[in-house]
Amino acid sequence: MQRLPAGVLLLMGLLILLQGCVPQTQPAELFQLTPESSANRAMQTRFFDTGNDQELLSASAAALQDLGFQVEESVREVGFLRAAKERSAREYGQYRNRFFLWLLSLGHVVIPIDLHQKIAASIVTRPLNEAHSRQEVRIIFYRAVWKGDGQADRNYIPPGEQKMEMIRDPEIYQQFFAKLSKAVFLEPHAI
Amino acid sequence: MNRTQVVGAVAVVLGSVMLQGCVAPEPRQELFAPTDAQMKIRSAQTRTFEVKEHTVAMRGVIAALQDLGFIIERANEPLGLVTAARFAEPNYYDVLGVTVTVRPQQDGKTMIRANAIYNSKPIEDPKVYQNFFAAVERSLFLVKD
Repeated sequence: MQRLPAGVLLLMGLLILLQGCVPQTQPAELFQLTPESSANRAMQTRFFDTGNDQELLSASAAALQDLGFQVEESVREVGFLRAAKERSAREYGQYRNRFFLWLLSLGHVVIPIDLHQKIAASIVTRPLNEAHSRQEVRIIFYRAVWKGDGQADRNYIPPGEQKMEMIRDPEIYQQFFAKLSKAVFLEPHAI
Repeated sequence: MNRTQVVGAVAVVLGSVMLQGCVAPEPRQELFAPTDAQMKIRSAQTRTFEVKEHTVAMRGVIAALQDLGFIIERANEPLGLVTAARFAEPNYYDVLGVTVTVRPQQDGKTMIRANAIYNSKPIEDPKVYQNFFAAVERSLFLVKD
């Protein structure tokens, strides 16, 4: 019985040490295009055969409103629009994982779970040719998540830890573009 | 050494340590003064492109930032300002921010200047800016096509 907590503590220690192994990105690399960049671009971009960029932008705003977003910023001259919505980020799976880890660590570890999230979208339209008869619409969905409190042995982890990520689920983008093309009566073209 | 001497010596040492705090702090004028390093950074942060239209240059910058995974926060067309940010994925603790200004030059060219910060510290590595301008160039070239 004496050895079990020591083993668990060792495992916990290893897990914490491994967290340090997330590769540290250098700023120089962050300004470099990665192999994923073009795949992301293809997922987030559609072309529309129209000269009316204003109509595209306002239809995009309407499509986002249908999805429950609030417009936060818009600049017509460069075809830019940013919208956001806030929702709960609680997930059943995270509660389950937290409970099992708590049980495994004999009550020493309570991992913080996601509580709240802000989902945001940033849209940019731009003409693709001189005659402005073809427009590109690029939308990036991302989310910021706030975590709740937790505990690691005797150390209390305060709530409010934050993380942000780009949403990489292609279906979400497809849904948005389906809505948008319906609104402007145009067929979207992928890259 | 007798006891009084020891106490005296300790008092002198302590006194001089405490007096150090009494030197009036010099106002840090160099915070606002131009330095050689700043001039060097400025040239790394600035590049001129053969683009006539202000809007085309701005849209190129915005598209380049999007390609690099940045989220556009603010844009101002008349002033040519674009502000964007992103987390330094895969770690979510470091934030990378950038402000870009696009200014037309007299000879039909456009000057683009980028200021990047990493966790609210300015980035001074010229390589970062080279990478950024390579992305801008690529995106401007795509627009032309």
